[in-house]
Amino acid sequence: MSMSKIVRAAACVLLPFILVFGFYIVMHGHLTPGGGFQGGAVIATGFVLLMAAFSYDSITARLSKSSLTGGETLGLLLFIVTAAVALGLGGTFFGNWLANSGAIFGTPVAFGANPGNLNTAGVIPIMNLAVGIEVLGGLSVILLYMLSGVHEEVA
Amino acid sequence: MRVIITAVVVIVLSLAVLSAAAGLDFGSPVHTDMDDYFTGFGQVLTGGNNIVTDVVFDFRGFDTLGEATVLFTAVTGVGLAFRKRKEDEDYEYE
Amino acid sequence: MIDILNGLVLIGLLVSALFIVRCRDLLSAAISFGIFSFLLSLEFYILQAPDVAIAEAGIGAGLTTAIFIVAIRGTTRWEGVRE
Repeated sequence: MSMSKIVRAAACVLLPFILVFGFYIVMHGHLTPGGGFQGGAVIATGFVLLMAAFSYDSITARLSKSSLTGGETLGLLLFIVTAAVALGLGGTFFGNWLANSGAIFGTPVAFGANPGNLNTAGVIPIMNLAVGIEVLGGLSVILLYMLSGVHEEVA
Repeated sequence: MRVIITAVVVIVLSLAVLSAAAGLDFGSPVHTDMDDYFTGFGQVLTGGNNIVTDVVFDFRGFDTLGEATVLFTAVTGVGLAFRKRKEDEDYEYE
Repeated sequence: MIDILNGLVLIGLLVSALFIVRCRDLLSAAISFGIFSFLLSLEFYILQAPDVAIAEAGIGAGLTTAIFIVAIRGTTRWEGVRE
């Protein structure tokens, strides 16, 4: 049960912009307002727009539940592993083992107002990405499960 | 009669909440030691310009782990409620 | 200027919250809930909490409305009507 051609075309036009905006919120989480949870929710809203515009069968042909739950599990595992690496390096759980180290995401930052550099903040961008993937998979798969329940009763 | 009781309860409760909130100044907490620490050292210690994300993902990372677990559990519950049942599987609501 | 905007948003919040409770048509109530969430995210932005505003706009106005509409499609549209 898909919607009219106008809705489908509008959803196809809007989807890339929503995805790019959500990814921007995720990756700039340590510089501007936002973060993993918010960006993941925005990307999931884009997927929900797609699910509302197209029929259930054409959605599940390209986007399976197992890939979404796999993304959710992968995000949570990446989050925990990033936090646990600090234990192996002799720090505390959730210690920031990359900050101010000079490696990737390790550029030191001076105190005060500055324009911001993407290559800073240590493990925070990695955790933002992990939480973003997790929230995206979780919120999308909730709606996909509900659509599957409605789909069986109506069809 | 029920309308009168409802109105009395609503008025008493809102008066209680408002009288408790009337003595507080907005945005001036009593203990500011941790706030001063976060705003003073957070940017240099973690390297992120957004203090909110620094607190959520670094200083209070364990809370974020709990939040992620809550979302995971919610998705598991929805998947259980909407799973595909076999033809001969009998089940009851309630 | 910001006070007038703040007052308008608060009045809109009250009106949309009243519509959520009083509507017999559950689809209208779901749409009112979307408007309520959008106005709430605007209020968060006015009170200088942009992090919460983005989360509220994404979750409340986008996802929750869609979930409610899917649930209405699976059940009944009118309140108090039994099939």
